[in-house]
Amino acid sequence: MGTATGIIKALNSGVKHLAVKRFTLRYPEQKLKFVGDGYQFDPSSGVAIAGLKGRHMLFHDHCTGCQLCSIACEGVAEAIGMVKVPDKWGQNAKSIMPQIDYGKCVFCGLCVDACPFYALYMSNDYELSSFTKEGLIYTPAQLQVKPQVQQDSELIIDKRGARHG
Amino acid sequence: MTEVIPTKQMPPGLQVDKVDDRIMTLNVGPQHPGSGHMRIIVKIDGDYIVDADPDPGYVHRGEEKMAEARNYITNIPHLERPVIHDSCNILYPYVLGVEDLVGIEVPERAKYVRVIAAELNRCIYIQYWLAIYGIFLGHSTMFMWPAGDRELLIDLMEKITGARVTHAYFIPGGVRNDVPANFEDVCLRQVNYFEQRIKEYADIFYDNPILKARTEDTGVLSREDAIRLGTTGSVLRASGVDYDVRVKEPYDVYDELDVHTNVLKSGDSYARSKVPWLDMLESCNIIRQALEKMPKSGSIRTKLKPNPKGGLGEVYRRVESGRGAAGCYIISKEKPEPYRLKLSVGSFRNLIALPYLLKGEKLGNMPAVYWSLNYWPVEADR
Repeated sequence: MGTATGIIKALNSGVKHLAVKRFTLRYPEQKLKFVGDGYQFDPSSGVAIAGLKGRHMLFHDHCTGCQLCSIACEGVAEAIGMVKVPDKWGQNAKSIMPQIDYGKCVFCGLCVDACPFYALYMSNDYELSSFTKEGLIYTPAQLQVKPQVQQDSELIIDKRGARHG
Repeated sequence: MTEVIPTKQMPPGLQVDKVDDRIMTLNVGPQHPGSGHMRIIVKIDGDYIVDADPDPGYVHRGEEKMAEARNYITNIPHLERPVIHDSCNILYPYVLGVEDLVGIEVPERAKYVRVIAAELNRCIYIQYWLAIYGIFLGHSTMFMWPAGDRELLIDLMEKITGARVTHAYFIPGGVRNDVPANFEDVCLRQVNYFEQRIKEYADIFYDNPILKARTEDTGVLSREDAIRLGTTGSVLRASGVDYDVRVKEPYDVYDELDVHTNVLKSGDSYARSKVPWLDMLESCNIIRQALEKMPKSGSIRTKLKPNPKGGLGEVYRRVESGRGAAGCYIISKEKPEPYRLKLSVGSFRNLIALPYLLKGEKLGNMPAVYWSLNYWPVEADR
């Protein structure tokens, strides 16, 4: 192949992309949809359920204050600390619950694997930015809130290429 | 030069040697001007390099020492940090080694899921590497296209593992979660489209006469030198040595799959940049085969205690990562923590070839030669 043919072929390959639709996603307006409701773990079978590893969800009525999540995090990021909560349930005699520092968390999900009481899951919420370091520390009350996420954009592949819609 | 500064206590790059005035010492890096977080000390005579001395170690984190204080499970998120976008492959030898030490079997389906995840991860790594190789050569289209097409596979990995990078997906005894429903269809569709996309790179990059003129016959590594210097992975295969751990020492289910290695003869920068691209096309084939042969249902994880104890003994396992053979050596003394842990990584072994390749090259060819070695600074430092 001659030099001129090669250069023309290379240019042509780029020019073809004028007709291809935009692949990227317009982020704050469009948000990518994920599989399921986030990463969850089923202690009875010992296998997790696929989902996005985002911000945690804490179920207060299941948490016994056993500190297993905190112990699991000790060797990884030391992001989980146990704090006193005012309410007292029968199953949580010490009334302590995990508080998670997202400045340290690496979103590996090993704390979810450690919980034997279906109390700690991960959710689809990934927008955790804050103006202060303290704002990244989520108390048990904040972790209880189910995130309101509008995620509707999906990857579409057809003859004209891949795009988000 | 009027005065000579004593060279004893000075770091190597700051030495002022009393040499001929023609030779100039130039520091490339370590502030990431296209070197990664490392420094290459080059001595140039006019435009020609007479000596090159790579100086890695700026991002050393002591992952191997840290592993001695953590148990076999909590080591997982740490050991994938050296190569965050190839995290399945760098974790693979460790997981295989721990399985040998603890003595557990892996279910058949988990082995296939692991192979699919590892091959997807290899493509993600190579696309990233290729994007940077493109921008090193001033080819900004070749930066945009791989970086964009990489999203397709990152999207797949996110569906499986829940994270875009640093998946922490493999675990001794299998994988942490099953693939989502109708994953086979989505994976097949996206991998097919991905393959169609990377085939388009031939026209604009690999068959482009401008790229060929730039990279052919630069940094030629002969077959004998490639073996003698102990290089691995794509660098070895570009020099004409047919060596791939997936074929020579098959792990998990690679012996049941038809793996074809790509070998080029010339050993120059062009061949070294082309072998990873051919590997990606081969990875697409492996993924399709694995999807076909994978058991449709079944267990994916053998139950393991949260704090497992390894037996008495030592183990060395290795796999083919995106940069070549990655090995992990573990000594266990019946404790929940490994007694010693060492990683043998492809990046560091390929870097050894750099001084030999750069000698006699023009300075302008340095990025083309350096990045063609498939080198990742953080992995070399660990």
